[in-house]
Amino acid sequence: MSRALLRSVLELRPAVPRPIASPRILPATQIRALQTQTPRQFNPTAQFVDPQPRPSQLPEQSTSSLSSSSQREPPKQKPNPPRVRLPTTPPEITPQKLDPSVKSLLPLLAAQPAHYITIHIHGRPYLVTEGDAVRLPFLMPDVQPGDVLRLNRASTLGSRDFTLKGSPWVDERLFECRAVVTGTEQEPVRVMIKKKRRCRRKKHVFSQHRYTTLTISEVKVVTEVPEDA
Amino acid sequence: MTIRGLPQISTGRNGVGAFILQCKRLDFHYCDWAGSSRGMNGFIKSLLPKFAAAHPQIEITVSPRPRKHPVVVGHYVNGKTKSIEVKNMEPMQVLQKVKLLRDASGEKDKRTTKPVTSINESVRGIWSPYHGNGMRV
Repeated sequence: MSRALLRSVLELRPAVPRPIASPRILPATQIRALQTQTPRQFNPTAQFVDPQPRPSQLPEQSTSSLSSSSQREPPKQKPNPPRVRLPTTPPEITPQKLDPSVKSLLPLLAAQPAHYITIHIHGRPYLVTEGDAVRLPFLMPDVQPGDVLRLNRASTLGSRDFTLKGSPWVDERLFECRAVVTGTEQEPVRVMIKKKRRCRRKKHVFSQHRYTTLTISEVKVVTEVPEDA
Repeated sequence: MTIRGLPQISTGRNGVGAFILQCKRLDFHYCDWAGSSRGMNGFIKSLLPKFAAAHPQIEITVSPRPRKHPVVVGHYVNGKTKSIEVKNMEPMQVLQKVKLLRDASGEKDKRTTKPVTSINESVRGIWSPYHGNGMRV
């Protein structure tokens, strides 16, 4: 057991700089991360050149490899080839023709000063304006504070008098919405008391979740729509 | 005439315009002798140089604290500190805690139920029954 532990630690040592300079995986299908603050290089070959990838090099285990450096070594390598999951790109949406009413009314919407937008992240709507702070209900993987996300899925876009409703989504070419990852937030520890009837025993279960916080840095209506739209 | 202070014109919102990492300093305290500092010492030797190079905006200080458990202390822009004891941890676990301190804002942990907080005025205004076309009952 101790030899396995030592071996796992030795094997982890070269993999140590990974979490800092790790290749970026696109966070979700709806979100396209733009690297503006600290451009980190994407090096897709690192996952392929290794003839026998260590368990910590597989992408689906990259987060768990940070949490525990012990109990990492599997007893024996399975003969079947390891699954390598590539970062997926969102499916290409064929650009639709814009409705003429949208084309005519969009400059009026853009001319009004303040805009609101209902963006969707993982299917949940967030009605935001520029400068708002959003605490997502989950911890977004593979982002660092300062990263800029381009949010391209929205259901409504509006100003004081006009609202552009998507069916179900507003055309991506009509707006630009960007959010800056400002960090992670913790909630206070939750204590759940597990108790059964007619039994004095009480069990306290603790949990504490972490959440990613964003700031909406830009909401812009694009009026120069390409000609083919 | 009474003297009145200057009213605050604008409120700082991090990420609008410029983004500033809220963690400004990380203190690492270790002990050379005690076994609970073994992972921390390995972290300082192997992982900390890379972390410090990747985060030039964080000031990093390393100082011994003999006969005590190892501690990482984060200092934040709002003047608060947050400290985590990292006794008996492996280097990678210490790195997790350091990342937690880096990502934190320095605020107290709060339970929030609404995801969006805004200080902007409502875009569409407040509804009034006396304006618009009215509704026939």
